Amino acid sequence: MTMPGYAIETRRLTKQFGRVLALNEVDLAIKTGEFAALMGASGSGKTTLMNILSCLDSPSSGDILLEGTAVGELDEEGRRLFRSRRIGLVFQQFHLIPYLNALENVMLAQYYHSVVDEPSARKALDDVGLSHRFDHLPGQLSGGEQQRVCIARALVNRPGLIFADEPTGNLDEQNEERVLDILRALHRDGRTIVMVTHNPALGAAAERIIRLNHGRIES
Amino acid sequence: MMLRMVLDSWRRAPGRCGMMVLTAFLAAVLLTALLTISVDIGDKMAREMKSYGANILVEPAEQAVLPELFANGQGALPAGEAVLDEAELINIMSIFWRNNIIGFAPILSGEVESATGRIPVIGTWFNKSLPLADEPDFRTGQLSVSPFWQITGVLPDDEQPEVLAGVELARQKGWKPGDTITLAGRDITVAGILNSGAGEDYAVVAPLKPVQEWLDRQGKVQAVHVSALTVPENELSRRAGDDPDSLDAESYDLWYCTAFVSTISHQLEEAVSGAVARPVWQIAASEGVIITKLQWLLLLATFAALLAAAMGMASLASGSVMERAGEIGLMKALGAGNTEVELLFHAEALPAALAGGALGSAAGWGLAQIISWRLFGAPAGFNWIVIPVIALLSLVVAALGVHLASGRISRLSPAEVLHGR
Repeated sequence: MTMPGYAIETRRLTKQFGRVLALNEVDLAIKTGEFAALMGASGSGKTTLMNILSCLDSPSSGDILLEGTAVGELDEEGRRLFRSRRIGLVFQQFHLIPYLNALENVMLAQYYHSVVDEPSARKALDDVGLSHRFDHLPGQLSGGEQQRVCIARALVNRPGLIFADEPTGNLDEQNEERVLDILRALHRDGRTIVMVTHNPALGAAAERIIRLNHGRIES
Repeated sequence: MMLRMVLDSWRRAPGRCGMMVLTAFLAAVLLTALLTISVDIGDKMAREMKSYGANILVEPAEQAVLPELFANGQGALPAGEAVLDEAELINIMSIFWRNNIIGFAPILSGEVESATGRIPVIGTWFNKSLPLADEPDFRTGQLSVSPFWQITGVLPDDEQPEVLAGVELARQKGWKPGDTITLAGRDITVAGILNSGAGEDYAVVAPLKPVQEWLDRQGKVQAVHVSALTVPENELSRRAGDDPDSLDAESYDLWYCTAFVSTISHQLEEAVSGAVARPVWQIAASEGVIITKLQWLLLLATFAALLAAAMGMASLASGSVMERAGEIGLMKALGAGNTEVELLFHAEALPAALAGGALGSAAGWGLAQIISWRLFGAPAGFNWIVIPVIALLSLVVAALGVHLASGRISRLSPAEVLHGR
């Protein structure tokens, strides 16, 4: 089923919660290095699709290949390992640990990936323009800075796949632009990026828009 | 990184850590107090129950074949009756378990002539000075053996011509404290009226020496009442009580070095020649039963406290898991396994439990002292074993608490808490 040059492929991907069909036989292919935006109204299934693509959840049926690995066939432990090694996650709510400073929050991803490497963590923060905020706790950072810490944490292990869930949902215009710049730079760097958004302006920044409606891909 | 996370968690979220320390502290206070009292209660209760009277009767071997005649050390002394040597009684304080001997009192009984006819008389020690090599102030007698005696007046002096008149005899004769009566031709002062609820109520209880003279038994006694601190009987002591020679060497050593009533009786027989020592089972057995039951009751209470503490810790850990669901979800999303997350919770809880346990054991020991003073009028003994036991229990309680909450950690789905599926 694997098609050369594709980072993400799904066939008849279905997810059901009780009697609710969240994803209905979704066929999807995203090329390696592609910057795709998943868009759709609330309840269209975009978050469910992203949870499955990022190995945070498993499908009810169907196939899913990530960088050539059939992750749908992996058990929870296998998905956990795949996620820690190959996937970077950016969240709308940032999800930083409140009692760890910015540097330690980034190092946490290294800890659960393999070994802690403080210089790399510093560089990751430096890359997102936070070299002056290493020792600050999340509560001492602005929303934009917290999101950049979150991005640095997603990038520190150099994953091939980056999933961003409404990455600018909680940011002002200035910070939104800054985060988009970082995502564009990652795209230029050859990373595969899947971004969930309901914001058309943000979707326009991606090179491809995938629209979901009632659990099916519309376009 | 784990250490860094734990230290940061304590430093920057002190409330959470404080609650764990407090829970462990309260549990340790309760457990330490209960354990200290539990360990100490055997001695304390045994001492308390000495008010029931002597628990061992020492008498001549020949006399032991007819124990019913002399069970209370009373009754007329038949001619040629077997007796013990008073001079040997000091040997009682040289047995292996001498520190468990609360006291002892010899008995010599018979009848003497009074102004109104023959009356029963019992010779004994009231509170006699018996200097020992290492304890020159040692005193013993009925004061320590029969603390239940009710005396109107004062206790006679062992070296003076003073007696106690049994309450029934005094009523018949119309005697009262301070009266002078004539016994065997000698004027004697009634120092007090004795109410013991037993045979002494119908007799005159006098210092041993004049009674020996009146009965022409100088330096002799009929029996000795011994009050000793003992531990509850068990199968080994029962076997040894029947026949110590039936035990193998190891069992014999174990029995000999345990303060069973049968062990102390055996050692008393070795100390006083020609003597047979018999436990007064209605006293000794009931002491054992009560102490054993009390210890079980306290251990049960300790177990209940331990369970309550574990539940408290589990509830705290569960609350913490719910409160930190986002944090746990994030760790899992980043690649942490359930075991790694549980390990973090253990690493946070165990040192807190140890700290709370240490503070709690100190406070619990103080509480045990207060309880002990209130119940027994004496401090609880310090037992080193309580410290490692409490440290271990604190860790077990914390580990159990986190373990009980670990189900929530396992069930927590990162997709649910991070994205809201």
